[in-house]
Amino acid sequence: MLKPLERGFFVGYFKKVPADVRVLMIGFIVFFIAAMATTSALLSLNTESPGAGSYADELSGEHLVGTMEVKPYPILRVPADGTKPARAVMLAGSGKFGVDDRALPLAGKTAQAGGIFVKRGDLVMLLIGGEDDLKAAKLQIPALPVTPVSENLGSWRLTGEICDGKCSAGAMKPGTGLAHKACANLCISGGVPPVFVSTAPVDGHIFFLLASKDGGPMPAALLDMTGLPVVLEGNIERRDDLLIFKIDSFREETGA
Amino acid sequence: MSLSYKPVIWNRTKIIYDAVMLAGIFIYILIFLRLGPVISSALRDTDLPIQRMRAFGSLALLMLTIVLAIGPLARIDARFIPLLYNRRHFGVMTAIIAATHAYYVLGWYFSFSPTPQLTALFTSNTSFTSTAGFPFELFGVFALVILAVLAVTSHDFWLSFLTPPVWKAIHMSVYFAYAAVILHVALGALIDRRDLALAFLSLGGLATLCVLHLIAGRRETSADAAASKKAPEAPWVIVGDLSEIAEGRAIIGAAPGGERIAVFRSKGGLSAVSNICSHQNGPIGEGKVVIGFITCPWHGYQYRPEDGCSPPPFRERIRKYRLRLEGSSVLVDPEPLPLGTKLEPLAIPAELLPAVAAPKKEGTV
Repeated sequence: MLKPLERGFFVGYFKKVPADVRVLMIGFIVFFIAAMATTSALLSLNTESPGAGSYADELSGEHLVGTMEVKPYPILRVPADGTKPARAVMLAGSGKFGVDDRALPLAGKTAQAGGIFVKRGDLVMLLIGGEDDLKAAKLQIPALPVTPVSENLGSWRLTGEICDGKCSAGAMKPGTGLAHKACANLCISGGVPPVFVSTAPVDGHIFFLLASKDGGPMPAALLDMTGLPVVLEGNIERRDDLLIFKIDSFREETGA
Repeated sequence: MSLSYKPVIWNRTKIIYDAVMLAGIFIYILIFLRLGPVISSALRDTDLPIQRMRAFGSLALLMLTIVLAIGPLARIDARFIPLLYNRRHFGVMTAIIAATHAYYVLGWYFSFSPTPQLTALFTSNTSFTSTAGFPFELFGVFALVILAVLAVTSHDFWLSFLTPPVWKAIHMSVYFAYAAVILHVALGALIDRRDLALAFLSLGGLATLCVLHLIAGRRETSADAAASKKAPEAPWVIVGDLSEIAEGRAIIGAAPGGERIAVFRSKGGLSAVSNICSHQNGPIGEGKVVIGFITCPWHGYQYRPEDGCSPPPFRERIRKYRLRLEGSSVLVDPEPLPLGTKLEPLAIPAELLPAVAAPKKEGTV
């Protein structure tokens, strides 16, 4: 048999609040406000830094001029100019768009590209602005060096994370991890070059542009592996300052 | 009660309730988005939309945990009933906070893309066969849909329109929403960031809710298990002794089959009614007779002792039962009378009138 507690009885539309209910409710209000404040402080402060990736407006309206390559993704091969070594600059568009549509007609030609960089360590991507920022160069300079042959750095098995090269370079902070997985897939599907962030360096690099075994775009099956620790095997080749990881096989990192 | 429906009928308690709730929300967001970045450089370096996602997402989890704790707390200690009184506002605000979290997620992770936002939400991650990497966003969508349905149907109009059993069944789905939120957090932020504070909030909250519900449930099942004894003469059951019933209060018997019956004592008479309020199935027997009306402790719905009907112009009705006294033993016929049947309170014989129960501190005997 149940009997109600013989305490003050209160329903919401009463004006008088019994003393025992009032005491507990005041205590609860204090506890509630304190719990909200404490939880907020603990959850907000318990976070890791997203690192130093960021935007860099280094061109200041100027353009890079080089040879356009479109495999595995649009890359502008900028020749050495005496003081600076040759560079291979990955290209992407605004938002989660790549620049395939504008780069493909320029394949093998001399092109000029403008926009803003995103940079994290040796990961560099040029984000092309409007239509005018990627086009055939006014002067098709025949003196531009013939594209050097890629240097083969051999076969490697590396552990790390597949990301989109734009967010992981600092377009989003953080731009890696599981919370970012769907976003990374959208970027890669949209044509933004995917990169592999290795836990160990190869030739001083920990970022690699991803490609299929035959040098085409990253295999679509790897979209299931973004944002996760994975083990990739394949061949690494160098194009100027950019390392390209051509994937032979992949599996999820089990920690074993 | 339910003669006509207004969006919110305000009173002092509701204003205080909402003010405290909003103050808590304001403080949470203020600390997370304003004070946190001042103290932590790591947070300062994080994108503002991501800070907002984390702030509103974790707040929604915290609020859902609190709102689910209110029910068992009120069953364990009646002094928590004021928290239950306006719980629907807490629930609606939880849905709004969760929707704000989703708004920031859609506007950041699923925007700026050739794929439309909602299409992207459902198609950009299809790793259904793996645990780590599973599209945890879908659990969040599922929970948000449930919370939105509950928020939209929280008003008494929908309670009356859908009928209490249907309304109650719909609103019990909040537990599915909570399970989905836990999976959403566990497979998303928790695996990703290995965040101890978030783990404590989600898994600690889950453990706390389990314990509270088990305690409250055990109390209920043990009360039902101790069914009222059958009287020698069928169909009567012995609910208790007159001396156990305090003036204006009730004792609650459990009829065969589990139906609970409350026997109220008021102004020298006894009345037996269903223990289930017709509003939200509140425990009427834990209420009190207020200005002559049996009053439910949850939201103050009132019923006349003589016929179980709310006073005009209200139209709620609860079942009445026949009762009689054998000596000081209170006997009830567990067969309910047709709704609205008038049965005057059973007068307590003069020689038994002094037998008024002394206030006790125990809720279950």
